[in-house]
Amino acid sequence: MKSDGLDDILLVKLIAAAHTDALEQLYDRYNRLVFSVALAILGDRSVAEEATLDVFVHVWRGAKTYHPDRAKVNTWLVAITRHHAIDILRWQNSRPDTKSLSLDDVFLSNGPEMPDPEAHAELSLQQARVREAIAQLPPEQRQVLLLAYFKGHTHQQIAKILEKPLGTIKTRIRLAMQKLREMLLDEVQVTDKSEGA
Amino acid sequence: MSNDLHVLESLPAYALGSLDGEEAQVVSEHIAGCYLCRQELNAFQAVADQSLLAVPEARPSGDLRPRLMERIQSLNVKQSAQTVRRRFPGRLMPVGALVSLALIVVLAVSNFLLWQRLNNSEVLAGPLGMRAIALQHTSAAPSGSGFVIMGADGRNGVLVVDKLPILAETREYQIWLVRDSSYTDGSVFSVDEYGYRGVRLRAPDSLLSYSAVWVTIEPAGGSPEPTGERVLSGSLFNP
Repeated sequence: MKSDGLDDILLVKLIAAAHTDALEQLYDRYNRLVFSVALAILGDRSVAEEATLDVFVHVWRGAKTYHPDRAKVNTWLVAITRHHAIDILRWQNSRPDTKSLSLDDVFLSNGPEMPDPEAHAELSLQQARVREAIAQLPPEQRQVLLLAYFKGHTHQQIAKILEKPLGTIKTRIRLAMQKLREMLLDEVQVTDKSEGA
Repeated sequence: MSNDLHVLESLPAYALGSLDGEEAQVVSEHIAGCYLCRQELNAFQAVADQSLLAVPEARPSGDLRPRLMERIQSLNVKQSAQTVRRRFPGRLMPVGALVSLALIVVLAVSNFLLWQRLNNSEVLAGPLGMRAIALQHTSAAPSGSGFVIMGADGRNGVLVVDKLPILAETREYQIWLVRDSSYTDGSVFSVDEYGYRGVRLRAPDSLLSYSAVWVTIEPAGGSPEPTGERVLSGSLFNP
């Protein structure tokens, strides 16, 4: 079956029905996104590539568990990637030196390889909006977001890493998330409506 | 419920998974019975997931695609072999189903009787060779507890958990039966407002053939392999 040009949800349905060409198509669309998230969390290309393989194998074996009413395919993929990458970090029990990570490296740089604007128009738009929203956060709020969500640290661990009071960390996380929610209101509302359906 | 009892201030951190054990427990218990806070949590969870899209673009090496397809090919071969192996037992299903049903009833009754006796031991031998294995909780579920009860031949078993954190709607618990480095999906479940649930374990082989059981937090509907935080685990080896 030719799966070129099919929408994401249909592709996942075809994958659930064991169409390997649909998996190849989904891989072509999202390998860079999945790899990028894995690399941002794991900080090592070869480990991130293994994680990327794992994610697409998960998709192959678990495509029937995808619920289109709960999340877009790209959000589902990055959520799986993030869970798996954080788990790898914890299994390794050797997180990279998070103090030395550059916030701009993780959040703000587009990198040298932008996705093909035609093939990834919707995703590019979504990414641009999120990057713009995150860029508007004060650096100290971006930093706690990075340590919490991308590195899997708890409040107390972040307070220790940054040598700041626990209350300060809690406030920064709360403010960062509230601001992001306001700025990404439309995107979030789409998800809310679908989850409630 | 009055507003001062809500946990709205903790929800952003809960969505990021950055609350420490006790705080996370308080939030999970609250959202189990609070529609408002659950809705708020879903919105913050969506924000958190969106933030992953902000990472800079990077490209994996060109050989990753053929490596992926090789793995898929090898998975398909394994799966075909398993399907052939399962055909014969399939003919015995009507009798097997009745026996299983009877055993589940016995297991459920035993569940209550065994619960209190498990507090101080990992493995308890029951009547007619039945066994119960207490699971260890992790820091992700500091108040959680659970045990597996299985029949003498390991063909049937149940998992009972208590005081596990209530999860956001987008997450569920998943049971994993571990053997070597492979993971078999044992079932997906949610817990009630007390964090309690009893679940029948589903496994293609005898439970005695697995070395361990894990419970992890996964995206709703489950994952093909463990991806999330482990909350309970226990050894099934030589129980």
